[in-house]
Amino acid sequence: MAERAEIQETVKSFILEAFLPGEDPDELTPETQLVSSGILDSVATLRLVTFLEERFGIQVEAHEADEEHLNTLASIAELVASKPGPGAR
Amino acid sequence: MDFAWSEEQIELRERVAEMARRELSADIQQRDADGTFDLEGWRRCGQLGIQGMPIAGEYGGGGLDPLTTVGVLESLGHACRDNGLVFSINAHLWTAAIPIQDFGSEAQKRRFLPGLCSGALIGGNAMTEPGSGSDAYALATTAEKRGDRYLLRGSKCFITNAPVADLLVVYANSAPARGANGISAFLVEKGMPGFACSETRDKMGLRTSPMAELFFEDCEVPEENRLGREGAGKALFAHSMTWERACILASAVGSMQRLLERCIRTAKERVQFGQPIGRNQLIQTKIVDMKLRLETARALLYQAAWLRGRGRTIYLEAALAKLHISEAWVRTAEDAVQIHGAAGYLRGGDVERELRDALGSRIYSGTNEIQRSIAASLLGL
Repeated sequence: MAERAEIQETVKSFILEAFLPGEDPDELTPETQLVSSGILDSVATLRLVTFLEERFGIQVEAHEADEEHLNTLASIAELVASKPGPGAR
Repeated sequence: MDFAWSEEQIELRERVAEMARRELSADIQQRDADGTFDLEGWRRCGQLGIQGMPIAGEYGGGGLDPLTTVGVLESLGHACRDNGLVFSINAHLWTAAIPIQDFGSEAQKRRFLPGLCSGALIGGNAMTEPGSGSDAYALATTAEKRGDRYLLRGSKCFITNAPVADLLVVYANSAPARGANGISAFLVEKGMPGFACSETRDKMGLRTSPMAELFFEDCEVPEENRLGREGAGKALFAHSMTWERACILASAVGSMQRLLERCIRTAKERVQFGQPIGRNQLIQTKIVDMKLRLETARALLYQAAWLRGRGRTIYLEAALAKLHISEAWVRTAEDAVQIHGAAGYLRGGDVERELRDALGSRIYSGTNEIQRSIAASLLGL
């Protein structure tokens, strides 16, 4: 599995492109609130989960698709890094 | 993808279909007219394990994979002309049994799943409110924590199975300041203080599946009946709806098969202008299109279930399956009415009831407009 910093950068690029087009990348920090602030609404959350599963070859459990696990780039990276990689399903 | 059925799967599908033909379709015209839920039929399905098919064996379920489950539901839908009963079974499976299995504590699973699987308990969920339908997370029902219990306040509407339910997964906001992220889920049992149900609502189709409103006036729910952690309601509902959208119309695929077979029979037997109406290319076109819709609907259903069985998240596949199968079912039922002419339009025959039953599928589990919106978003639009 990729290092957390690498995961964060990959997810950050996706979120900037998908949900924050035109946003200053420096404004999106590892601790920026994504779910609580509404940057990720319910459908955007589905899209993020789909991206994480396809990009990193992981499986996000149903109870993990929530604010606790997806609210910041840091928590997303932690979640992804905790998963076994592709082929471990 | 491999959709070949094993001998065991075929045997199970045939066993369910045989029971449904023999025991679930009698008096359907009268029960449809009266809006009567077939409790005996429900129990008979429970004896065959239908209400617990995808639930793990240790909790009383059949432990069947998603593809087998939808295959059996397809057979049930084909053989059982009581679409309302099958709809109630689906609501029970996807909005009560599955959420409890996947989000419940061990104690909750041990307490509720065996009864839900056997059919001794009837389940459902309660999300929709007068002010929140498609915008589901805008719900206004609240859950205030008081010591070791919650007090639920608010109301719910269009709740499938409500008049007969023993257990409902009720969504309420336990932290309104957090908006949708404050929504939690609660297992509300029949008879809990402050919990009331309206009379059964009259509706156009699926009339044998009872629907009502629910009222919560300081309804006391013990903390041990909270399903998942506080604030997990949004993830829980999304999970439940994904299962439901992927699987709830498996039985509709069976219904479409039944309609196709009936229309082919009629097209061969009904003679006009000196020949069977099936010799008319306009009738042939309708029937071929019915077959085409059936096969594409079945393919989307099987694909979603197969992927789910391999652990894949299927948000897009579930939305597409729900969207396509529902529209195919309505169109097929419309064509069946047209092929049968005035006879298909009469009350008391199966064909007009099939159309009434099909129409709701474009609305429940998230309207088809919402499915298109979800699909567009998942496609990056």
